[in-house]
Amino acid sequence: MEPTIIIDERVDVVALFKNKGGISTLAFPAKMRWNGREIIFDQLGMRHPTAKGKRMIHVFDVSDGVNDYRLEFDAEGLTWTLVAMIEGGKRA
Amino acid sequence: MPNLLARNLGLNKENPLVMWIDLNSAFAMAEQQAHPSLRGKPMGVTNRWSKECCVIAASYEAKALGIKVGTRRGEAMAICPDFIILETDPPKYHNVYKKLFKILQDYSPKVQMKSIDEGIIDFHNATATLKGRSLQEIGQEIKQRVKQDIGGYTTVNIGIAPNRFLAKTAAGLNKPDGLNTIDHTNLIDVYKSLELEDLTGIAKAYGSRLRAYNIYTPMDFLNARESLLKKQIFKSINGYHWYRRLRGHEADDYETKLGMVGRQWVVKNPSNDDAWLRSCLHFLAETTGMKLRFRNVEARGVCVWMDFVMGGGFYDKKTYKTTFYTNQDIWLRVARLFENRPKHMKVRTMGLYLYNLSPSTRSQQSLFEDAKKADFLTKAMDEINDFYGSFTVYSADTMTGAKTVRQKIPFGGTEYFNLLLKRQ
Repeated sequence: MEPTIIIDERVDVVALFKNKGGISTLAFPAKMRWNGREIIFDQLGMRHPTAKGKRMIHVFDVSDGVNDYRLEFDAEGLTWTLVAMIEGGKRA
Repeated sequence: MPNLLARNLGLNKENPLVMWIDLNSAFAMAEQQAHPSLRGKPMGVTNRWSKECCVIAASYEAKALGIKVGTRRGEAMAICPDFIILETDPPKYHNVYKKLFKILQDYSPKVQMKSIDEGIIDFHNATATLKGRSLQEIGQEIKQRVKQDIGGYTTVNIGIAPNRFLAKTAAGLNKPDGLNTIDHTNLIDVYKSLELEDLTGIAKAYGSRLRAYNIYTPMDFLNARESLLKKQIFKSINGYHWYRRLRGHEADDYETKLGMVGRQWVVKNPSNDDAWLRSCLHFLAETTGMKLRFRNVEARGVCVWMDFVMGGGFYDKKTYKTTFYTNQDIWLRVARLFENRPKHMKVRTMGLYLYNLSPSTRSQQSLFEDAKKADFLTKAMDEINDFYGSFTVYSADTMTGAKTVRQKIPFGGTEYFNLLLKRQ
Protein backbone atom coordinates (compact mmCIF):
# COMPACT_ATOMS: atom_id res chain seq x y z
CA MET A 1 0.00 0.00 0.00
CA GLU A 2 0.88 3.61 -0.36
CA PRO A 3 2.33 4.65 3.01
CA THR A 4 0.48 7.98 3.13
CA ILE A 5 -2.16 8.25 5.88
CA ILE A 6 -4.79 10.87 5.09
CA ILE A 7 -5.75 12.97 8.13
CA ASP A 8 -7.24 16.29 6.91
CA GLU A 9 -7.73 17.97 10.31
CA ARG A 10 -7.30 21.57 11.39
CA VAL A 11 -4.41 21.86 13.89
CA ASP A 12 -2.80 24.45 16.17
CA VAL A 13 0.61 25.46 14.81
CA VAL A 14 3.46 27.64 15.99
CA ALA A 15 5.29 29.02 12.96
CA LEU A 16 8.60 30.86 12.69
CA PHE A 17 9.26 33.80 10.39
CA LYS A 18 12.88 34.72 9.76
CA ASN A 19 14.14 38.02 8.45
CA LYS A 20 16.92 36.51 6.37
CA GLY A 21 17.49 33.42 4.29
CA GLY A 22 16.26 31.78 1.13
CA ILE A 23 12.58 31.80 0.19
CA SER A 24 12.40 28.12 1.06
CA THR A 25 13.27 28.70 4.71
CA LEU A 26 11.90 32.18 5.49
CA ALA A 27 8.73 30.83 7.11
CA PHE A 28 7.99 27.37 8.41
CA PRO A 29 5.99 25.57 11.09
CA ALA A 30 8.02 24.85 14.23
CA LYS A 31 5.52 22.70 16.15
CA MET A 32 1.88 21.66 16.21
CA ARG A 33 -0.67 20.25 18.59
CA TRP A 34 -2.53 17.23 17.27
CA ASN A 35 -4.45 14.50 19.07
CA GLY A 36 -3.48 16.07 22.39
CA ARG A 37 0.22 15.76 21.59
CA GLU A 38 2.77 18.45 20.90
CA ILE A 39 4.90 17.55 17.90
CA ILE A 40 8.10 19.48 17.36
CA PHE A 41 9.44 19.64 13.81
CA ASP A 42 13.17 19.37 13.35
CA GLN A 43 13.32 19.31 9.58
CA LEU A 44 11.63 21.13 6.72
CA GLY A 45 11.66 18.77 3.73
CA MET A 46 10.15 21.11 1.20
CA ARG A 47 7.73 23.98 0.88
CA HIS A 48 5.76 24.63 -2.25
CA PRO A 49 2.88 26.91 -3.10
CA THR A 50 -0.20 25.64 -4.87
CA ALA A 51 -3.09 27.79 -6.04
CA LYS A 52 -6.59 26.58 -5.32
CA GLY A 53 -8.55 29.10 -7.32
CA LYS A 54 -7.88 32.54 -5.84
CA ARG A 55 -6.56 31.04 -2.58
CA MET A 56 -2.86 30.42 -2.20
CA ILE A 57 -2.06 27.32 -0.20
CA HIS A 58 1.48 26.83 1.07
CA VAL A 59 2.33 23.17 1.49
CA PHE A 60 4.97 22.34 4.10
CA ASP A 61 6.44 18.85 4.21
CA VAL A 62 8.04 18.58 7.66
CA SER A 63 9.45 15.87 9.89
CA ASP A 64 9.75 15.36 13.63
CA GLY A 65 12.68 13.02 13.09
CA VAL A 66 10.48 9.93 12.96
CA ASN A 67 7.35 10.70 10.95
CA ASP A 68 6.73 13.02 8.01
CA TYR A 69 3.77 15.43 8.02
CA ARG A 70 2.13 17.40 5.24
CA LEU A 71 0.79 20.69 6.59
CA GLU A 72 -1.12 23.16 4.45
CA PHE A 73 -1.38 26.85 5.30
CA ASP A 74 -4.28 28.67 3.65
CA ALA A 75 -2.94 32.19 3.14
CA GLU A 76 -6.46 33.61 2.74
CA GLY A 77 -8.29 31.81 5.54
CA LEU A 78 -5.15 31.77 7.77
CA THR A 79 -5.77 28.15 8.72
CA TRP A 80 -3.37 25.25 9.19
CA THR A 81 -4.48 21.77 8.16
CA LEU A 82 -2.65 18.52 8.81
CA VAL A 83 -3.41 16.85 5.51
CA ALA A 84 -1.45 13.62 5.74
CA MET A 85 1.44 11.83 7.37
CA ILE A 86 3.89 9.05 6.62
CA GLU A 87 4.96 6.97 9.56
CA GLY A 88 8.72 6.52 9.64
CA GLY A 89 9.66 2.98 8.79
CA LYS A 90 6.19 2.08 7.55
CA ARG A 91 6.46 0.25 4.28
CA ALA A 92 4.16 -0.67 1.45
CA MET B 1 49.07 13.43 -28.58
CA PRO B 2 45.40 14.43 -27.96
CA ASN B 3 45.93 17.47 -30.20
CA LEU B 4 47.29 15.30 -33.01
CA LEU B 5 44.32 12.96 -32.71
CA ALA B 6 41.94 15.91 -32.57
CA ARG B 7 43.38 17.29 -35.78
CA ASN B 8 43.29 13.95 -37.57
CA LEU B 9 39.72 13.19 -36.57
CA GLY B 10 38.47 16.75 -37.03
CA LEU B 11 37.40 17.09 -33.38
CA ASN B 12 36.04 20.43 -32.25
CA LYS B 13 38.81 22.06 -30.21
CA GLU B 14 36.87 25.07 -28.95
CA ASN B 15 36.40 25.69 -25.22
CA PRO B 16 33.44 23.70 -23.90
CA LEU B 17 30.66 26.27 -23.36
CA VAL B 18 27.53 24.15 -23.25
CA MET B 19 26.30 22.90 -19.87
CA TRP B 20 23.68 20.16 -19.43
CA ILE B 21 21.95 19.99 -16.04
CA ASP B 22 20.00 16.86 -15.15
CA LEU B 23 18.01 16.48 -11.92
CA ASN B 24 18.76 13.01 -10.60
CA SER B 25 15.64 10.77 -10.54
CA ALA B 26 13.63 13.98 -10.43
CA PHE B 27 10.21 12.96 -9.13
CA ALA B 28 11.52 10.29 -6.76
CA MET B 29 14.14 12.64 -5.40
CA ALA B 30 11.55 15.42 -4.95
CA GLU B 31 9.55 13.01 -2.77
CA GLN B 32 12.66 11.98 -0.83
CA GLN B 33 13.47 15.66 -0.39
CA ALA B 34 9.97 16.34 0.96
CA HIS B 35 9.82 13.20 3.13
CA PRO B 36 12.99 12.58 5.15
CA SER B 37 11.64 9.16 6.24
CA LEU B 38 11.86 7.95 2.61
CA ARG B 39 15.49 8.88 2.11
CA GLY B 40 17.90 6.08 1.44
CA LYS B 41 15.01 3.69 0.78
CA PRO B 42 13.85 1.96 -2.40
CA MET B 43 10.80 3.98 -3.46
CA GLY B 44 9.09 5.29 -6.54
CA VAL B 45 6.16 7.29 -7.78
CA THR B 46 3.22 6.38 -9.96
CA ASN B 47 0.56 8.45 -11.69
CA ARG B 48 -2.35 6.72 -10.04
CA TRP B 49 -2.06 4.05 -7.38
CA SER B 50 -3.54 0.67 -8.33
CA LYS B 51 -2.56 -3.00 -8.14
CA GLU B 52 -1.03 -2.93 -11.59
CA CYS B 53 0.28 0.63 -11.64
CA CYS B 54 3.64 1.46 -13.21
CA VAL B 55 6.64 3.14 -11.65
CA ILE B 56 7.21 6.43 -13.50
CA ALA B 57 10.27 7.39 -11.44
CA ALA B 58 12.39 5.28 -9.11
CA SER B 59 14.86 6.33 -6.43
CA TYR B 60 18.51 5.37 -6.84
CA GLU B 61 18.08 2.79 -4.09
CA ALA B 62 15.27 1.19 -6.12
CA LYS B 63 17.25 1.40 -9.35
CA ALA B 64 20.13 -0.43 -7.67
CA LEU B 65 17.73 -3.34 -7.10
CA GLY B 66 16.61 -3.36 -10.72
CA ILE B 67 13.36 -1.39 -10.30
CA LYS B 68 13.17 1.20 -13.04
CA VAL B 69 10.72 3.33 -15.01
CA GLY B 70 7.96 1.13 -16.39
CA THR B 71 8.29 -1.61 -13.74
CA ARG B 72 4.85 -2.75 -12.61
CA ARG B 73 4.05 -2.51 -8.91
CA GLY B 74 3.72 -6.29 -8.64
CA GLU B 75 7.15 -6.87 -10.17
CA ALA B 76 8.67 -4.18 -7.94
CA MET B 77 7.17 -5.77 -4.81
CA ALA B 78 8.51 -9.18 -5.89
CA ILE B 79 11.99 -7.71 -6.21
CA CYS B 80 11.73 -5.74 -2.97
CA PRO B 81 8.80 -6.35 -0.58
CA ASP B 82 9.70 -3.10 1.20
CA PHE B 83 9.30 -1.02 -1.96
CA ILE B 84 7.36 2.19 -1.26
CA ILE B 85 5.19 3.73 -3.93
CA LEU B 86 3.62 7.20 -3.79
CA GLU B 87 1.21 8.95 -6.11
CA THR B 88 2.58 11.87 -8.10
CA ASP B 89 2.22 15.36 -6.69
CA PRO B 90 2.35 17.70 -9.74
CA PRO B 91 2.47 21.03 -7.83
CA LYS B 92 5.54 19.76 -5.97
CA TYR B 93 7.38 18.88 -9.20
CA HIS B 94 6.22 22.11 -10.80
CA ASN B 95 7.85 23.99 -7.94
CA VAL B 96 11.12 22.07 -8.41
CA TYR B 97 11.02 22.72 -12.17
CA LYS B 98 10.35 26.43 -11.61
CA LYS B 99 13.24 26.75 -9.17
CA LEU B 100 15.66 24.89 -11.44
CA PHE B 101 14.63 27.04 -14.41
CA LYS B 102 15.14 30.20 -12.34
CA ILE B 103 18.64 29.10 -11.29
CA LEU B 104 19.66 28.35 -14.89
CA GLN B 105 18.28 31.66 -16.15
CA ASP B 106 20.69 33.54 -13.89
CA TYR B 107 23.64 32.40 -16.01
CA SER B 108 22.72 33.01 -19.63
CA PRO B 109 19.85 34.33 -21.73
CA LYS B 110 20.14 31.16 -23.76
CA VAL B 111 18.55 28.56 -21.50
CA GLN B 112 16.46 25.73 -22.84
CA MET B 113 14.56 23.20 -20.74
CA LYS B 114 14.80 19.93 -22.67
CA SER B 115 12.38 18.07 -20.47
CA ILE B 116 10.81 18.45 -17.07
CA ASP B 117 14.01 17.49 -15.29
CA GLU B 118 16.83 18.67 -17.52
CA GLY B 119 17.97 21.89 -19.08
CA ILE B 120 20.81 23.42 -21.06
CA ILE B 121 22.76 26.62 -20.52
CA ASP B 122 24.57 27.81 -23.62
CA PHE B 123 27.43 30.11 -22.55
CA HIS B 124 28.31 31.19 -26.10
CA ASN B 125 27.92 35.01 -26.08
CA ALA B 126 27.37 34.90 -22.31
CA THR B 127 30.97 34.57 -21.16
CA ALA B 128 30.66 37.87 -19.22
CA THR B 129 28.54 36.08 -16.61
CA LEU B 130 31.44 33.71 -15.97
CA LYS B 131 33.49 36.58 -14.45
CA GLY B 132 36.71 34.71 -15.07
CA ARG B 133 35.45 31.49 -13.51
CA SER B 134 35.61 28.14 -15.24
CA LEU B 135 32.47 26.24 -16.16
CA GLN B 136 33.49 23.62 -13.60
CA GLU B 137 33.28 26.30 -10.90
CA ILE B 138 29.91 27.48 -12.25
CA GLY B 139 28.76 23.85 -12.17
CA GLN B 140 29.73 23.54 -8.50
CA GLU B 141 27.90 26.79 -7.77
CA ILE B 142 24.74 25.49 -9.49
CA LYS B 143 24.91 22.32 -7.40
CA GLN B 144 25.09 24.46 -4.26
CA ARG B 145 22.20 26.63 -5.39
CA VAL B 146 20.08 23.56 -6.11
CA LYS B 147 20.69 22.39 -2.54
CA GLN B 148 19.92 25.85 -1.17
CA ASP B 149 16.84 26.63 -3.27
CA ILE B 150 15.29 23.18 -3.78
CA GLY B 151 16.64 21.21 -0.84
CA GLY B 152 19.74 19.71 0.71
CA TYR B 153 18.96 16.16 -0.43
CA THR B 154 18.54 17.14 -4.08
CA THR B 155 21.40 16.47 -6.46
CA VAL B 156 22.02 17.19 -10.13
CA ASN B 157 24.35 15.75 -12.71
CA ILE B 158 26.13 18.34 -14.79
CA GLY B 159 27.87 17.83 -18.10
CA ILE B 160 30.05 20.39 -19.86
CA ALA B 161 31.12 20.08 -23.50
CA PRO B 162 31.44 21.99 -26.77
CA ASN B 163 28.05 20.74 -28.02
CA ARG B 164 24.70 19.56 -26.64
CA PHE B 165 25.23 15.89 -27.48
CA LEU B 166 28.52 15.62 -25.59
CA ALA B 167 27.21 17.76 -22.73
CA LYS B 168 24.32 15.30 -22.26
CA THR B 169 26.76 12.41 -22.50
CA ALA B 170 28.92 14.04 -19.82
CA ALA B 171 25.85 14.58 -17.62
CA GLY B 172 25.19 10.85 -17.81
CA LEU B 173 28.56 9.94 -16.29
CA ASN B 174 29.04 9.26 -12.57
CA LYS B 175 25.39 9.39 -11.54
CA PRO B 176 24.23 10.69 -9.13
CA ASP B 177 25.75 14.08 -8.34
CA GLY B 178 28.41 14.00 -11.08
CA LEU B 179 30.16 16.91 -12.75
CA ASN B 180 32.09 16.02 -15.87
CA THR B 181 33.61 17.75 -18.87
CA ILE B 182 34.12 16.21 -22.27
CA ASP B 183 36.29 18.02 -24.79
CA HIS B 184 38.79 17.07 -27.49
CA THR B 185 41.36 16.03 -24.88
CA ASN B 186 39.30 13.24 -23.28
CA LEU B 187 36.61 12.48 -25.86
CA ILE B 188 38.38 9.33 -27.09
CA ASP B 189 38.73 7.96 -23.54
CA VAL B 190 35.03 8.58 -22.86
CA TYR B 191 33.96 6.86 -26.09
CA LYS B 192 36.17 3.88 -25.22
CA SER B 193 34.31 3.50 -21.93
CA LEU B 194 30.83 3.48 -23.52
CA GLU B 195 28.68 1.03 -25.43
CA LEU B 196 26.99 2.05 -28.68
CA GLU B 197 23.53 2.23 -27.09
CA ASP B 198 24.90 4.45 -24.30
CA LEU B 199 25.00 7.27 -26.85
CA THR B 200 21.96 9.55 -26.74
CA GLY B 201 19.86 8.96 -29.83
CA ILE B 202 21.16 5.45 -30.49
CA ALA B 203 18.51 2.99 -29.38
CA LYS B 204 18.17 -0.68 -30.29
CA ALA B 205 17.09 -0.16 -33.91
CA TYR B 206 19.86 2.30 -34.79
CA GLY B 207 22.33 0.10 -32.90
CA SER B 208 21.40 -2.89 -35.06
CA ARG B 209 21.67 -0.81 -38.21
CA LEU B 210 25.15 0.40 -37.23
CA ARG B 211 26.28 -3.14 -36.40
CA ALA B 212 25.16 -4.25 -39.85
CA TYR B 213 27.92 -1.96 -41.16
CA ASN B 214 30.53 -3.32 -38.73
CA ILE B 215 30.17 -0.43 -36.31
CA TYR B 216 30.16 -2.08 -32.90
CA THR B 217 31.47 0.64 -30.58
CA PRO B 218 31.37 4.42 -30.24
CA MET B 219 34.99 4.44 -31.47
CA ASP B 220 33.98 2.55 -34.64
CA PHE B 221 31.19 5.11 -35.03
CA LEU B 222 33.66 7.99 -34.66
CA ASN B 223 36.01 6.45 -37.19
CA ALA B 224 33.26 5.84 -39.77
CA ARG B 225 33.52 7.87 -42.96
CA GLU B 226 31.07 10.72 -43.45
CA SER B 227 29.93 9.30 -46.78
CA LEU B 228 29.19 5.89 -45.20
CA LEU B 229 27.05 7.49 -42.49
CA LYS B 230 25.25 9.83 -44.88
CA LYS B 231 24.72 7.67 -47.94
CA GLN B 232 24.44 4.14 -46.60
CA ILE B 233 23.64 3.95 -42.91
CA PHE B 234 21.32 6.90 -42.27
CA LYS B 235 20.59 7.62 -45.94
CA SER B 236 19.90 11.26 -45.09
CA ILE B 237 21.38 14.47 -43.71
CA ASN B 238 21.22 12.71 -40.32
CA GLY B 239 24.43 10.88 -41.23
CA TYR B 240 26.22 14.21 -41.63
CA HIS B 241 24.76 15.44 -38.34
CA TRP B 242 26.06 12.32 -36.56
CA TYR B 243 29.50 12.80 -38.13
CA ARG B 244 29.63 16.34 -36.70
CA ARG B 245 27.88 15.58 -33.39
CA LEU B 246 30.35 12.82 -32.48
CA ARG B 247 33.24 15.24 -33.02
CA GLY B 248 31.82 17.89 -30.70
CA HIS B 249 30.41 20.22 -33.37
CA GLU B 250 26.91 21.57 -32.70
CA ALA B 251 24.16 19.77 -34.59
CA ASP B 252 21.26 20.08 -32.17
CA ASP B 253 20.76 23.80 -31.55
CA TYR B 254 17.30 24.13 -33.00
CA GLU B 255 13.74 24.54 -31.80
CA THR B 256 11.56 21.51 -32.49
CA LYS B 257 8.59 22.41 -34.67
CA LEU B 258 5.33 21.77 -32.88
CA GLY B 259 3.51 19.07 -34.86
CA MET B 260 0.47 18.37 -32.71
CA VAL B 261 -1.09 18.95 -29.32
CA GLY B 262 -3.38 16.52 -27.59
CA ARG B 263 -4.27 14.49 -24.55
CA GLN B 264 -4.93 10.89 -23.77
CA TRP B 265 -6.46 9.17 -20.78
CA VAL B 266 -6.51 5.65 -19.45
CA VAL B 267 -10.21 5.19 -18.64
CA LYS B 268 -10.56 4.64 -14.90
CA ASN B 269 -13.29 1.99 -15.18
CA PRO B 270 -13.48 0.80 -18.80
CA SER B 271 -16.96 1.54 -20.08
CA ASN B 272 -19.14 2.10 -23.13
CA ASP B 273 -21.45 4.55 -21.34
CA ASP B 274 -22.00 7.23 -23.97
CA ALA B 275 -22.74 10.18 -21.67
CA TRP B 276 -19.85 9.42 -19.34
CA LEU B 277 -17.30 8.92 -22.12
CA ARG B 278 -18.60 12.04 -23.87
CA SER B 279 -18.10 14.18 -20.76
CA CYS B 280 -14.57 12.84 -20.21
CA LEU B 281 -13.64 13.37 -23.87
CA HIS B 282 -15.10 16.88 -23.74
CA PHE B 283 -12.89 17.59 -20.74
CA LEU B 284 -9.85 16.29 -22.67
CA ALA B 285 -10.88 18.53 -25.60
CA GLU B 286 -11.05 21.61 -23.34
CA THR B 287 -7.64 20.96 -21.80
CA THR B 288 -6.23 20.40 -25.30
CA GLY B 289 -7.75 23.74 -26.36
CA MET B 290 -6.03 25.36 -23.39
CA LYS B 291 -2.68 23.91 -24.51
CA LEU B 292 -3.32 25.00 -28.11
CA ARG B 293 -3.96 28.60 -27.13
CA PHE B 294 -1.06 28.63 -24.69
CA ARG B 295 1.23 27.71 -27.61
CA ASN B 296 -0.41 30.52 -29.59
CA VAL B 297 -1.28 28.25 -32.51
CA GLU B 298 -4.42 27.18 -34.33
CA ALA B 299 -5.23 23.78 -35.81
CA ARG B 300 -6.77 22.57 -39.05
CA GLY B 301 -6.99 18.88 -38.19
CA VAL B 302 -8.46 16.78 -35.40
CA CYS B 303 -8.10 13.10 -34.55
CA VAL B 304 -9.97 10.99 -32.00
CA TRP B 305 -8.76 7.52 -31.06
CA MET B 306 -9.65 4.75 -28.63
CA ASP B 307 -8.38 1.34 -27.52
CA PHE B 308 -11.00 -1.22 -26.54
CA VAL B 309 -10.97 -3.72 -23.68
CA MET B 310 -11.73 -6.58 -26.07
CA GLY B 311 -8.79 -5.60 -28.29
CA GLY B 312 -8.65 -3.46 -31.36
CA GLY B 313 -9.42 0.20 -31.48
CA PHE B 314 -10.97 3.14 -33.24
CA TYR B 315 -9.16 5.93 -35.06
CA ASP B 316 -10.75 8.75 -37.06
CA LYS B 317 -9.42 12.08 -38.19
CA LYS B 318 -10.50 14.97 -40.31
CA THR B 319 -8.69 17.92 -41.85
CA TYR B 320 -10.53 21.21 -42.37
CA LYS B 321 -9.90 24.07 -44.79
CA THR B 322 -9.90 26.74 -42.09
CA THR B 323 -8.19 26.87 -38.71
CA PHE B 324 -9.92 26.65 -35.33
CA TYR B 325 -8.93 27.22 -31.70
CA THR B 326 -11.99 27.91 -29.52
CA ASN B 327 -13.27 25.26 -27.12
CA GLN B 328 -16.59 25.21 -28.96
CA ASP B 329 -14.99 24.64 -32.36
CA ILE B 330 -12.68 21.93 -31.07
CA TRP B 331 -15.48 20.07 -29.29
CA LEU B 332 -17.82 20.34 -32.29
CA ARG B 333 -15.26 18.56 -34.46
CA VAL B 334 -14.22 16.04 -31.79
CA ALA B 335 -17.88 15.15 -31.05
CA ARG B 336 -18.54 14.41 -34.73
CA LEU B 337 -15.68 11.90 -34.83
CA PHE B 338 -16.71 10.43 -31.46
CA GLU B 339 -20.12 9.59 -32.96
CA ASN B 340 -18.45 7.31 -35.54
CA ARG B 341 -17.05 4.88 -32.98
CA PRO B 342 -18.47 1.37 -32.47
CA LYS B 343 -20.74 2.20 -29.55
CA HIS B 344 -20.97 -1.26 -27.99
CA MET B 345 -17.24 -1.52 -27.33
CA LYS B 346 -15.89 -0.80 -23.84
CA VAL B 347 -13.17 1.83 -24.01
CA ARG B 348 -9.89 1.27 -22.19
CA THR B 349 -7.87 4.28 -23.38
CA MET B 350 -8.95 7.30 -25.36
CA GLY B 351 -7.45 10.49 -26.61
CA LEU B 352 -7.46 13.20 -29.17
CA TYR B 353 -4.94 15.39 -30.89
CA LEU B 354 -5.01 18.47 -33.06
CA TYR B 355 -2.66 18.71 -36.03
CA ASN B 356 -1.76 20.92 -39.00
CA LEU B 357 -0.84 23.68 -36.59
CA SER B 358 -0.07 27.24 -37.69
CA PRO B 359 0.65 30.49 -35.82
CA SER B 360 -2.44 32.06 -34.33
CA THR B 361 -4.26 34.83 -36.18
CA ARG B 362 -6.49 35.63 -33.22
CA SER B 363 -5.62 39.32 -33.33
CA GLN B 364 -7.37 39.58 -36.72
CA GLN B 365 -11.04 40.39 -36.27
CA SER B 366 -13.49 38.10 -37.96
CA LEU B 367 -16.21 39.55 -40.18
CA PHE B 368 -18.77 37.19 -38.78
CA GLU B 369 -20.66 38.02 -35.60
CA ASP B 370 -20.89 34.40 -34.39
CA ALA B 371 -17.14 33.89 -34.72
CA LYS B 372 -16.53 37.11 -32.78
CA LYS B 373 -18.79 35.91 -29.94
CA ALA B 374 -17.03 32.53 -29.74
CA ASP B 375 -13.68 34.30 -29.71
CA PHE B 376 -14.75 36.68 -26.90
CA LEU B 377 -16.18 33.81 -24.88
CA THR B 378 -12.99 31.73 -25.18
CA LYS B 379 -10.85 34.74 -24.28
CA ALA B 380 -13.04 35.56 -21.27
CA MET B 381 -12.94 31.94 -20.05
CA ASP B 382 -9.15 31.77 -20.42
CA GLU B 383 -8.73 35.04 -18.51
CA ILE B 384 -11.00 33.91 -15.66
CA ASN B 385 -9.21 30.58 -15.44
CA ASP B 386 -5.82 32.30 -15.54
CA PHE B 387 -6.79 34.55 -12.64
CA TYR B 388 -8.90 32.29 -10.45
CA GLY B 389 -7.26 28.95 -11.25
CA SER B 390 -7.69 26.23 -13.87
CA PHE B 391 -11.26 25.05 -14.45
CA THR B 392 -12.94 27.75 -12.38
CA VAL B 393 -15.32 28.01 -15.32
CA TYR B 394 -15.87 25.22 -17.83
CA SER B 395 -18.65 23.78 -19.95
CA ALA B 396 -21.42 22.11 -17.95
CA ASP B 397 -21.02 19.08 -20.20
CA THR B 398 -17.50 18.46 -18.83
CA MET B 399 -18.49 18.39 -15.13
CA THR B 400 -18.26 14.61 -14.87
CA GLY B 401 -15.05 14.56 -16.90
CA ALA B 402 -13.40 17.24 -14.76
CA LYS B 403 -14.05 15.13 -11.65
CA THR B 404 -12.89 11.89 -13.25
CA VAL B 405 -9.88 12.71 -15.44
CA ARG B 406 -6.75 13.57 -13.55
CA GLN B 407 -3.98 15.82 -14.80
CA LYS B 408 -1.15 13.41 -15.44
CA ILE B 409 2.54 14.00 -15.29
CA PRO B 410 3.69 13.84 -18.88
CA PHE B 411 6.95 12.19 -19.86
CA GLY B 412 9.50 14.21 -21.73
CA GLY B 413 7.83 17.48 -22.56
CA THR B 414 7.98 20.72 -20.64
CA GLU B 415 4.70 22.00 -22.05
CA TYR B 416 2.55 21.18 -19.01
CA PHE B 417 4.97 22.79 -16.58
CA ASN B 418 5.39 25.85 -18.78
CA LEU B 419 1.63 26.21 -18.80
CA LEU B 420 1.66 26.15 -15.00
CA LEU B 421 4.55 28.64 -14.94
CA LYS B 422 2.40 31.05 -16.90
CA ARG B 423 -0.43 30.58 -14.44
CA GLN B 424 1.54 31.50 -11.30
